[in-house]
Amino acid sequence: MSIFEYNGSALVAMVGKNCFAIASDRRLGVQLQTIATDFQRIHKIHDRLFIGLSGLATDAQTLYQRLMFRHKLYQLREERDMKPETFASLVSALLYEKRFGPYFCQPVIAGLSDDDKPFICTTDSIGAKELAKDFVVAGTAGDSLYGACEAMFKPDMEPEELFETLSQALLASVDRDCLSGWGGHIYIVTPTEVKECTLKGRMD
Amino acid sequence: MKLDTTGLESALPLFGANCQMVDGFTAAPAFELPTTLDFDGFQKEAIQMVKPAKGTTTLAFIFKEGVMVAADSRASMGGYISSQSVKKIIEINPYMLGTMAGGAADCQFWHRNLGIKVCRLHELANKRRISVTGASKLLANILYSYRGMGLSVGTMIAGWDETGPGLYYVDSEGGRLKGPRFSVGSGSPYAYGVLDSGYRYDMSIEEAAELARRAIYHATFRDGASGGVASVYHVGPNGWKKLSGDDVGELHYKYYPVTPSTVEQEMVEVSAA
Repeated sequence: MSIFEYNGSALVAMVGKNCFAIASDRRLGVQLQTIATDFQRIHKIHDRLFIGLSGLATDAQTLYQRLMFRHKLYQLREERDMKPETFASLVSALLYEKRFGPYFCQPVIAGLSDDDKPFICTTDSIGAKELAKDFVVAGTAGDSLYGACEAMFKPDMEPEELFETLSQALLASVDRDCLSGWGGHIYIVTPTEVKECTLKGRMD
Repeated sequence: MKLDTTGLESALPLFGANCQMVDGFTAAPAFELPTTLDFDGFQKEAIQMVKPAKGTTTLAFIFKEGVMVAADSRASMGGYISSQSVKKIIEINPYMLGTMAGGAADCQFWHRNLGIKVCRLHELANKRRISVTGASKLLANILYSYRGMGLSVGTMIAGWDETGPGLYYVDSEGGRLKGPRFSVGSGSPYAYGVLDSGYRYDMSIEEAAELARRAIYHATFRDGASGGVASVYHVGPNGWKKLSGDDVGELHYKYYPVTPSTVEQEMVEVSAA
């Protein structure tokens, strides 16, 4: 098993009508052994920007701490929050700095930019940005997630329908992956509120 | 090394008339070997292909009322779950069970071979059932003769014969162990923890079944390569009987029901002004 599959993870973000949702699994494992079933993979940068980090858990934690540090400095200097597009560029730059000794992570960035337009993007472990209009996936269950999202996605979904679709896609995909699952965590973000839910899934 | 082919002899030589299939001379039946330049390297690759398949949890133990056998039902290929509904407890004959761990094809073939060629033939020739000791010894000998060729089999033979309940562990390295409790597979450490701490010789059938089910459930929770359905079988003086097949996902919420947690922040309806 490769270093990206050491801890196991599943991450997905999907775009709706003036809203977005980002979901992850909750397992932290050491190869096949499950260590924890309440691991937090999605972090809030500010009220309209979330980042999920898949891959090696130690790198995910370090990268998150570095990004929070940079964002706080930005807030102090600019006296405002970072736009999602800017944040994505920051993540990309930070990852490429370690081009020859990379962080073994694949981040998923999701936020609301100007005019409340949802923005999602993912990068590979050395910072190549991939912008998408519908959904982005990452983690050991990535291939299954691509299939499930492709089948279930519809453009311009309302928040409730988006929540249903994304939960079903996530749970179906992690049920085909040994290394991720054991529950789910989902954030649905609209211009007025952030809803956080825990999903009940198969614990095997 | 002479391969033990007693398990492969078919009924063909008895029907002398139908010799077209045998090309005029009765050749000794044997598995065809692959035509490669590097036989050892090819075998090593084959072993690596089968190796990840030992992701499983199976267990069996002897108690007052017979033998309890249990297994999960997940098949995994590396990280991918290829099936959640694999039958890992193989019914060799009405009073003997074998468990599957390792290569699925290897286990299925050799157990079937054991039941039909070895056990049935013994029963017909000697007018009485084969003992668990005998069946496991014959299987171990067959597997030993294929040692080093890449078979991956980690099985337990459980049955009831004239001497009472019998349980043997047999593997593809040629090992054969007699014992009261065994668990095989990547989830076996977790199953042993529950099994060893809850085991008593004088349990009732229901208690033993619950212990076996719990042990499999705990293994599926911790081990990524085990999951699906926890099947429990009991082997008694009248043969084996399947007791239960519970989906492990539902077992979790049965053992640990979801308690409503305290709400940290709740939005309240604001009355319109």
